[in-house]
Amino acid sequence: MLKLFLAEVKRSWIQFIRYPAEAIGGIFIISALFYGLFLGATYVAGPSIKLGDRLDSIIVGYMLWTLVTFVLFDIAGTLQNEAQTGTLEQLFISPFGAPRVFLTRAIANLMIQFILITTILLIIMSLTGRWLSFPPTLILPLIAVILGAYGLSFAIGSLALLLKRIQQLLGIFQFALLFLLTVPTETWTGSSKVLGLLLPMTTGAGLLRDVMARQQPLNLPQLGLAWLNGGIYFGLGLTLFRFAERETKRRGRLGGY
Amino acid sequence: MQVLEVQHLQKTYRSSRKHLTTAVRDVSFAIAQQEVLAFLGPNGAGKTTTIKMIAGLILPDRGEVKINGLNPHREAQALRSLGAVLEGNRNLYWRLTPIENLEYFGVLRGLSQKVARQRGRDLLERFELSHKRRAPVQTLSRGMQQKLAIAVALIHEPQLLLLDEPTLGLDVEATQTVKRLIREIASEGRAILLTTHQLDIAEELSDRVAIINQGAIVAEESTEELIRRFSGSAYVVELEQEIDRDRVSKIQNLGAIVNEKTILIRETEILYEVLHILQPLPLIRVEKEQANLTEVFLQLIQNQSESPC
Repeated sequence: MLKLFLAEVKRSWIQFIRYPAEAIGGIFIISALFYGLFLGATYVAGPSIKLGDRLDSIIVGYMLWTLVTFVLFDIAGTLQNEAQTGTLEQLFISPFGAPRVFLTRAIANLMIQFILITTILLIIMSLTGRWLSFPPTLILPLIAVILGAYGLSFAIGSLALLLKRIQQLLGIFQFALLFLLTVPTETWTGSSKVLGLLLPMTTGAGLLRDVMARQQPLNLPQLGLAWLNGGIYFGLGLTLFRFAERETKRRGRLGGY
Repeated sequence: MQVLEVQHLQKTYRSSRKHLTTAVRDVSFAIAQQEVLAFLGPNGAGKTTTIKMIAGLILPDRGEVKINGLNPHREAQALRSLGAVLEGNRNLYWRLTPIENLEYFGVLRGLSQKVARQRGRDLLERFELSHKRRAPVQTLSRGMQQKLAIAVALIHEPQLLLLDEPTLGLDVEATQTVKRLIREIASEGRAILLTTHQLDIAEELSDRVAIINQGAIVAEESTEELIRRFSGSAYVVELEQEIDRDRVSKIQNLGAIVNEKTILIRETEILYEVLHILQPLPLIRVEKEQANLTEVFLQLIQNQSESPC
């Protein structure tokens, strides 16, 4: 698996940098967005307003939003791109099996995106002299959120396999994602709290808000539930993808996007 | 030893709620090591569905595929023995260079990066692509891309190679090179399933032919035997100059047909008598009337569509 992961990282990176103008354009857009976030609040409220830790949570929140969106649509996007480039069938005749190939590729793509954004953020921070604080405990609920996001990504990929053209649906998924990442389930009580635990990614997202915006220590039982939630959605997504793969092969519609 | 065994494959698609289309009714064949099987059929006969069922890309309704004794639909190990160049697909990453493609697909097929790189270099050299190893694939000619696609399919040294229209859209020189490579690959001990609409290429390259029509195999035997079966028993004799009247009359009395410089002999027992009469006129050729694969193919397809189902 490791050798496949490294090969995917290399392939994705080469594809990204092969045409420098395109790569620079992509980096410029990400840099402009984050730089705008740094400057935006100052422009709106004036330099006398002290944002304090609020800016940290805005930027980290936006970074997470970008990464989770990236994960969510990665598998469906890969399926459609590979069908267009005429390499989709080659991925499906790998002895690793399609789910493993797509997961490895999604993780490799996320890693490149993560390194890119982190590097850009570090450069912006050094330029502006404004250093954000990233509590290291952030990584734990983040894993739960990302795990759930991969589960949903496999589910969306399954839809892409079965229905082929799902561009219109992707817009709806973005709204659903916005809801899942912002709904404050950590403040819900009673039966709503149970529902909050069942929704994908929300428990982990709530923990991220606790750690970043409210500067609260990490709630370990809640973290366990967030991981369980992420694990279950990941398993469900994979199962759905395996079913969709078999169903698509039964229908004989693997290519043809 | 049989590398590929296909037994009673069947596939039906649901094209609408009430309408079912049978793409493959009953397809069985086998390919041994060092053998090239030309899998021929008109458009819509079920070739692509059969190939994709062999590659594990379409699930058959019934029947079984075995590659080196393993079922690709149940045992992923079977795919280690399979390489495929599928028609209508590029089969390559256009932004990557040839060596990068070979390395990536090598790992995807289960090799270590080191082995994939070494084999990639060897294949580039053998396929005469070393000078282009650092050029993005999209800058290569169609012939070079096709050679590379075959090289990529061979990176993990599979026992079975599926080649779907490997010479489609290639110029004469590139076609010759691809033909040479196919012969070489088969001689190394691999089994090759070749589909093509260029029947002269199929005739030249294949050891055996399987012809599919309306989802069923209508002929499957050695290429040589099939052509012999469809060839007539007549002989054609061609001379350098027109034959004089005296000889023409003698030959016609024997029952042969004379047309200027050519003689058609339907009864083979009179061949040597005719040759004796012609002595010492200079001959250009004496040839048994031979069918070619195109004629055989057309005849079989036509017979089948005329016969009631």
